[in-house]
Amino acid sequence: MRQSLLNDTLTVSGLSVARSGRTILHPTSLEISPGDRIGLVGSSGSGKSTLGHALVDDFRAQGKRVTHVPQSPDEALDPLRSMAFQWREAEQALGLQPGSADQKTLFSTLNIEGSDLRRRPWGWSRGMQQRFVISMALMGTPDLIVLDEPTSALDPVVAAATMDLLDRHLGSGNIAMMLITHDLGLAARRVSRLMVMEDGRIVECASTKELLQRPQASASKALVAHRSWVELPC
Amino acid sequence: MLKVANVSVKHGAAVILSNISFSLQPGKTLAVVGESGAGKSTLIAAILGFLHPSGGKIAWAGASVRSCGPALVMQEPRSAFNPLLSLRRSVMEPVIAQNSEISKRRLNRLCEGLELPAEILNRRPQEVSIGQAQRVGILRALIAAPPLVLFDEPLSALDAVTQKHTAKLIADLQQEEGFAALIVTHDLGYAVAYADEIIVLKSGRIEEVATPTTFAQTPKSDYSRTLRDAAIALGALEASS
Repeated sequence: MRQSLLNDTLTVSGLSVARSGRTILHPTSLEISPGDRIGLVGSSGSGKSTLGHALVDDFRAQGKRVTHVPQSPDEALDPLRSMAFQWREAEQALGLQPGSADQKTLFSTLNIEGSDLRRRPWGWSRGMQQRFVISMALMGTPDLIVLDEPTSALDPVVAAATMDLLDRHLGSGNIAMMLITHDLGLAARRVSRLMVMEDGRIVECASTKELLQRPQASASKALVAHRSWVELPC
Repeated sequence: MLKVANVSVKHGAAVILSNISFSLQPGKTLAVVGESGAGKSTLIAAILGFLHPSGGKIAWAGASVRSCGPALVMQEPRSAFNPLLSLRRSVMEPVIAQNSEISKRRLNRLCEGLELPAEILNRRPQEVSIGQAQRVGILRALIAAPPLVLFDEPLSALDAVTQKHTAKLIADLQQEEGFAALIVTHDLGYAVAYADEIIVLKSGRIEEVATPTTFAQTPKSDYSRTLRDAAIALGALEASS
């Protein structure tokens, strides 16, 4: 099912997922180069999050360092552990010395500075939990960051600041990023390549510019047609 | 007409809403936008009488808002329903409460517009996706043709295509039935596209009241400009070339 480690490119082939006898991700192969910015878009239930989870599991099994911001912070945070404990655990997982990650800058940009790290997740609001999980994903230099609807629980100002922080963090370095979202408008501004999913398959993969100008698959056409609510005159 | 006059809400020493005033005519849509914790959902709770303002008055046509049979679309789709009841039973509660009847045609039309297969209503809330639960929440709010509908992040769990279809259905129904709509949302693109007026809340105060065009093109306050720019940065508002 998998092969990799030929070079720094992350590779999967024939990755599939079935649940209760039903195939929810059809055999999927893809390559992610260092520094790639990929948007995985599609409607609800198209298999985006399933592919994201499968990629995270597979790449980690290959020994790659992958950080993951799941759609819900519940999936990332242990309700019985303090936020400080979860931060230390993430540092250890990425091979960082305790306290070496730039928590202050990350928290400040994500607007959660001064929050009580002794509390457990349920002592924080959902939006704050989401930002905490994003900050953990940005603390090191993994091979790949997978972000599943990272801004869905955030207000627009914090969401935009988060995406800008992400852009700065990735810079022109080698960290690859996969942004999973139903929002083509968001993805279009942040990624160089788009993959469109429908019914558990990648039905189109193209550069962001190409796909926005000439979508081929019906799912891509629908997403492009519903990309934004209104256009503002310049 | 919904009239909110000088309303303040306090929680202990904390001021959640401060001196909020606006009115909303039947058939019109008012969007309330602003940062998390600005007091948007608190405003809805105060309008519906779920909490008592420390000052000011809220009325619908001079009487209490509850008396007009307002509807609410809640922010958390699944927790908006009784988990022990089928969705059909929950959807019909406003109808039962008003002692009225709903034609099968209306139910079918709403289900069709919301892209909800009719069999979904036989399930319980935990047996449908969050997006489906959110659309059932909208169905329940609109089923009994209320004069006032309060939407708290009504499209947050829907994908981009379904968001647009659902927003259009709500707008079409509003045009036909004339209900007043107050929409609390983080989605500034939705607010600009469908609201007649936008209220920008910050730290419990009204920062600006603007038409969608003004908000999108020439917002007056610094905070409104920050919000507008964030919406553009997120692709929710698109600058045409």
